[in-house]
Amino acid sequence: MADQLVTVQIDERSIQVPKGTGMVETAAAAGIEIPVFCYEPRLGPPVGACRMCLVEVEGMPKLQAGCTLTAQDGMVVKTARTSEQAAEGQNSTLEFILINHPLDCPVCDKGGECPLQDLTFRYGPGNTRMSFPKRTMEKPIPISPLIALDRERCILCYRCTRFSESVAEDGQLVAINRGASSVIATFEDEPYKGHFSGNVTEICPVGALTSTQYRFEARPWEIQNVPTVCGHCPVGCNITATTREGKIKRVLSRNHPEVDEGWICDKGRYAFNHLVALDRITTPLRKAGPRRFEAVSWDEAIDEAERLLRGGGATTVTALSGGESVEEAYALAKIMRQGLGAHNAVLPETPSELGGSPLSAIRDAKTVVVLSDVPVVERAPIVDLWIKAARRAGATVSYEVPTGPIGALVTDETSKAAGIDAEHVYVLPFTPNGRGVADAWSAAGDEDPVDAMQRVLIISGDEAATDPGVRALAVEAETVIGIGMFEESFRGIADLVLPGTSYLERDGTTVNLEGRLQRQRRAVLAPVPDVLAWLSKLGERFDVQLSPHASVLFDEVSERCFGGVTYAELGEHAPLPLRSAETPAYPAVRADMPRNQGSALRLVAYKPLFSGAAVERTPELEFQQPGAVVELAPEDARARGIRNGATVTVSSNGTSVELQARVARDLSAGAVRIPRDHAGDLHPTVEVSP
Amino acid sequence: MAATEIREVVLADATTSLAEYEASGGYAQLARARTLTPNEITDELLASELRGRGGAFFATGRKWSFVPTKDMIPKPHYLVINADESEPGSFKDNEIMSRVPHRFIEGCLITAHAVDSQHVYIYVRGEYTGPYEIVTAALDEIRDRPDIRGDVTIVVHRGAGAYICGEETALIESLEGKRGQPRSKPPFPAISGVYASPTVVNNVETMATVAPVLAMGAAEYAKLGVEHSRGTRVVSISGHVANGGNYEIEPGISLRDLIYAEHLGGGVPGGHTLKAVIPGGSSTVILKADEIDVGYDFDSLAALRTAMGSAGVICLDERVCMVQLGIRVSEFYEHESCGKCTPCREGTRWMTAILRKLEAGDATAGELDLLLDVCDRINGKCLCPLGETAAMAVASYVAKFRDEYVAHIAQGGCPFGDSSPLDHVLAPVAQGHLPGRLPEGKRLEVVHG
Repeated sequence: MADQLVTVQIDERSIQVPKGTGMVETAAAAGIEIPVFCYEPRLGPPVGACRMCLVEVEGMPKLQAGCTLTAQDGMVVKTARTSEQAAEGQNSTLEFILINHPLDCPVCDKGGECPLQDLTFRYGPGNTRMSFPKRTMEKPIPISPLIALDRERCILCYRCTRFSESVAEDGQLVAINRGASSVIATFEDEPYKGHFSGNVTEICPVGALTSTQYRFEARPWEIQNVPTVCGHCPVGCNITATTREGKIKRVLSRNHPEVDEGWICDKGRYAFNHLVALDRITTPLRKAGPRRFEAVSWDEAIDEAERLLRGGGATTVTALSGGESVEEAYALAKIMRQGLGAHNAVLPETPSELGGSPLSAIRDAKTVVVLSDVPVVERAPIVDLWIKAARRAGATVSYEVPTGPIGALVTDETSKAAGIDAEHVYVLPFTPNGRGVADAWSAAGDEDPVDAMQRVLIISGDEAATDPGVRALAVEAETVIGIGMFEESFRGIADLVLPGTSYLERDGTTVNLEGRLQRQRRAVLAPVPDVLAWLSKLGERFDVQLSPHASVLFDEVSERCFGGVTYAELGEHAPLPLRSAETPAYPAVRADMPRNQGSALRLVAYKPLFSGAAVERTPELEFQQPGAVVELAPEDARARGIRNGATVTVSSNGTSVELQARVARDLSAGAVRIPRDHAGDLHPTVEVSP
Repeated sequence: MAATEIREVVLADATTSLAEYEASGGYAQLARARTLTPNEITDELLASELRGRGGAFFATGRKWSFVPTKDMIPKPHYLVINADESEPGSFKDNEIMSRVPHRFIEGCLITAHAVDSQHVYIYVRGEYTGPYEIVTAALDEIRDRPDIRGDVTIVVHRGAGAYICGEETALIESLEGKRGQPRSKPPFPAISGVYASPTVVNNVETMATVAPVLAMGAAEYAKLGVEHSRGTRVVSISGHVANGGNYEIEPGISLRDLIYAEHLGGGVPGGHTLKAVIPGGSSTVILKADEIDVGYDFDSLAALRTAMGSAGVICLDERVCMVQLGIRVSEFYEHESCGKCTPCREGTRWMTAILRKLEAGDATAGELDLLLDVCDRINGKCLCPLGETAAMAVASYVAKFRDEYVAHIAQGGCPFGDSSPLDHVLAPVAQGHLPGRLPEGKRLEVVHG
């Protein structure tokens, strides 16, 4: 039934589409535009609010909204191209929209890339018949530190409120008042705080919701848009980095229907200013005191690095972040393994061998099982949106293993998937490219580490440098070499620091949680030489042949790990699967989470999405950081007489913190969840009391 | 020509007392209906030719027949009663709920049986505190009467003062706790209404007619009125008329009789003469005084491009300025526009602005044409009928009283000045007015099934 083809005639063109296809899509298939404002299929069923998509349908007396119309056999539709009535309808809608629109396009951030401008250009009246004062309102209203609302420009398409209600499901953005006085507002004027709030600025078809970061920063004809992939979490959302005069000005989504469906989280969207942080390392640094560095020249730095590494030799340990590109990790691994014979690595995590399904398969599952101590949204935000989409589509979302078939399993630990038969399995890694980094390390050699005293430690990346486990190793090591972006990460622990770059400043590849290999492109030049360039120089000192070009290094890794795929095959929307069936043996990594002990509760002190080096250097994201909240499973809360919102004491071994309780359905009994920064010195097992 | 007498079917034997209602045969039809199958009741309603009394005039039996069986859509069925009577000029449902609450409830329960529903919502206009008290008191009376209540739960929900919530899909949205805005149709409520389940939305008067139809028998009921407008209608007569009020008559009666008959409207008082009549509530096309020799029924009024609508007959005498009337009506629709679709939200506001300029005498002839063009650009392009009827109504004032509009331009002001007595006809839009508040805890009354 669903595949039954029907023939529709649009503007004298015949087109065959599956019965029930929306008229906007049907027309598009025939190469005809039906203009829209409110219509956005990703926001749920069409609402027919803006009336921009009016078309004439044979046999119907009135114009019909194209967005709510579906293809039926024999339907004859005329758009503005061939129907005067439809053209008049669309002209009317635009006239009505424009009578109160401020037409401040010259100072509007949307100007030049504005659907209202574009559709007025094509369908609208060229003059105005409105002789009355326009409706004016207070503006701009900061609905959060990230988003400014201009109610005069708003055309009330309700895309943003529908996003808030039906995609992010945070329900914070609403319309208040009625008729011509309707305005968009947040509930009780509280800031719009949510992981996905920035998406409303992108779906807004006018300049009503704009990013405060991008405000008055650029005109669309003086920017460059670089298609790349976000490097903040293991989802790897496809993004567009907008640059002007060599600086990142904003980050937009770039719809990959299998990965992100065109949504990105606020970290990915707004945290790019860490590139220009005050403590950004711009030259090699040598330790000059307990908490002090001094700048050294590149020649000196490479000499020094060679000297230190030769001192460590085969006993040198490499700690990786999981935020490196495959090529960076590979180049470093090749020097260490082939140049020094140093096969000892501290990887950020053991990559899961499970997976291989597109994230979009979650939405189509009938049963979704989530087994994760860490909130999914905090580790892989877009996965949370896919789970919500599944629930809206009628799926059962369960936080324990149900009987019966399981469509999709989402878990934070590979071990939890053991023995569970699910059609699609998704393991949420800790790091953006932990899998790619592990692949790269394996591709550079396969010998076992020598068993000897570890004297030299090389720390790659700020995430590794700020990891407590790695810092403990650093204390024991005689010498520490760092590669990273921020002085603060390495102060006090590193003897030599070589400047690192961000995912927005490099070419390379990254592997996301699906196992999808995706390309990152250099959007802006880093204020420092490319990491691959100086690694290539360093490699020469150890007779290791290393190209400074990511594409050449990629081919080497691809040969060994990715079945020989090329950059070209990855394209701008990388397909799945592109990995070889043969999975390399990954080395073991850090210790596991502690297990439950007795009746006490197991503490999950998780790293929230809005944390880490990049977020700490983006002041406007501060309000997004989680509050002092402890989450309990409903059973555990009930057993202790704790109600949602109550202040509770979380204690262990003589130390305690006061937190606000939240009862979380997605948490399994026996565990409590606290954002890492609010967990204080709590031990792995805690008790919670009212 | 039909009779000019009052013919009380809905309003007959008015009582708010359960005992009195039962003594006069009340709830007997419910008991009988429960011995019939839903299809048998629906067929009886189809045969009676009863059409919905909310204003759209859709055949009641047909509406019921659209509800899919629970085999087809395995979801609960909902019956929603639209008691959000908000059309300026209409106040019949107010009187029906106040005078014959049990007949109304009996109709609801029969209909619930006919559409296989165990869940009834009565959505009462927020300002209707009186009818609300009476209906909830009547429901209290049957609380301990399982023989009447059956397995049906009736929930009374008070609206919060929005005209648009009288539109069935906006009413459903509001009932679900959302912003009161119409949904795009299809899907129609019969397939996907309350909580995306099959839903029948019926008007109060329609419900109060169901038991009498069964009592009289469809054939007898269908003998009343005229073709396509069978049965009786409760007509609200208001404005410049001697005996304003609700009168239950048979459609087909002449509009002149409705206004002038001694036992009905009683004519225009104070020595004034009739200038115009709005025949079916503020959203219908106006009739000039020389157009009232017309049958008050669907077909006859349709021939004059107007409608019975919700049966609110508004009489206007010669003192009324048609531009001021336009402002009053346009302001109302601007105020009540929900804000969802563009033409209604922006267009009604623009209409009001142009009308005010006309009234002030500052408008040009071009702006009168602009007003008509704005009306034309709203009409036929909206999501729901609210904006469209506003545009049609105002355009009809200009069309039928164009000289008066032109005079405003020619004279540079209103020929009537402040002497145009509209406040007793259509109340001005209330600013910052909230519906009457009931004591805490009385906002939602549930009769447990």
